[in-house]
Amino acid sequence: MLQIKNLHASVEDKEILKGVNLTIGPGEIHAVMGPNGAGKSTLAAVLTGRPGYTVTEGSVTFMGKDLLAMAPEERAWAGLFLSFQYPIEIPGVTITAFMKAAVNAKRRAEGLPELKAGEFLKLQKEKMAFLKMKQEFAKREVNVGFSGGEKKRNEIFQMAMLDPMLSILDETDSGLDVDALRIVADGVNALRSPEKSAIIVTHYHKLLEYVQPDFVHVLKDGAIVKTGGRELIGAIESEGFDQF
Amino acid sequence: MGHGRYIDPIGDARSKPGMTESVMADSDRPSPVITIKAGERLDLQYVVLPGESRDIDVTVDLTGPGAELSLKALYLTNAEEKVNFRILVHHRAPGCRSSQLVKGVAGGSSKVTFSGTIVVAPDAQKTEAFQENHNILLTESANVETKPQLEIYADDVKCSHGATVGRLNEDELFYMRSRGIPMGEARALQMLSFLSPVIPQERREEIENVIMAL
Repeated sequence: MLQIKNLHASVEDKEILKGVNLTIGPGEIHAVMGPNGAGKSTLAAVLTGRPGYTVTEGSVTFMGKDLLAMAPEERAWAGLFLSFQYPIEIPGVTITAFMKAAVNAKRRAEGLPELKAGEFLKLQKEKMAFLKMKQEFAKREVNVGFSGGEKKRNEIFQMAMLDPMLSILDETDSGLDVDALRIVADGVNALRSPEKSAIIVTHYHKLLEYVQPDFVHVLKDGAIVKTGGRELIGAIESEGFDQF
Repeated sequence: MGHGRYIDPIGDARSKPGMTESVMADSDRPSPVITIKAGERLDLQYVVLPGESRDIDVTVDLTGPGAELSLKALYLTNAEEKVNFRILVHHRAPGCRSSQLVKGVAGGSSKVTFSGTIVVAPDAQKTEAFQENHNILLTESANVETKPQLEIYADDVKCSHGATVGRLNEDELFYMRSRGIPMGEARALQMLSFLSPVIPQERREEIENVIMAL
């Protein structure tokens, strides 16, 4: 599904990623762990095409296509989704208007007819109920005045609406209390399928207790220095990242 | 807060710009005067859409106690269009309220100027007067100049003004695109949300279509 080869990337001429290699197959959940400043968020930003990041070397292939040549919206249409570490507020735009534009843009790109208002609202209602969100939520302006937990839940709601092939969860567990973490984890688990994959980026093992990864990678100083199974989580928890 | 001497432009003074030089300095011709009397309320709404250059030149006198003005203006400019706002709101009686909200998006090589003045006369105590002018530049070659002014000669008033010139927020744009909303539609959504408070309800659909087509 995703092949990252020797990926180098810079922000303002400072090299952050220094040769990342990572292959993700269908149905797999990968955790990318690492200390602050290792390049975890940069990796997420480069994969989704955030402006301000320059790829200087390497390649990324997603669903057989050159991901780095695609605009951010084209990456979304191809089935990539990023749950933002810091979700953006959009004053004046309701969640309903925002999601309707997003869902219908993706449907157009897939050659499907746009959802009619009623069809869209039904879908939205189902997904909100599934994530235990109050229906009034849909009328609020995107992320405006949301608590940390509400913002993260809104990210998972968007993920559920867009039904991506590959979800990248960037520090989705930060700022969540146990109940909110549980809801987010249930949401992520419910979206698991033999075709759908996820990358969970975190410096913290909490979410990984609820969403069990198939592979764990340690990202340090811009490169993956260790890959293993769930046993790595315990090793990191007890001895930190210095051992790698 | 006030500067200079208060000159009451009562009567036919408006036709002699020299009489009110402190507030009419930029204007080479008299502006139409709208009077709001005691206890009356007036809603003014201006909409300037792409395809026209326009001068919106208006003076509002609040002449009786409790008079109220709400002024809203929206502009969308393109190409070489020029839009100039010259707004003077004169509080001449006590207990009047005025609010002005002027918002717009300047594209192409258009030029927009906003010159807005609130004058509060010495005996216009308990005045509430607000003025906001917010602008977004869509292109490098668009130009906006904004000059809000307050001249207050009374001491028991609530007045404020604010002006900004900015660009569409890049973080918002990326967030929307990352969800699959194409660039053009994302920008249109941003403009709609920015302009929303000044879009007259009965023209919403028309204006939405104009924005989507920009």
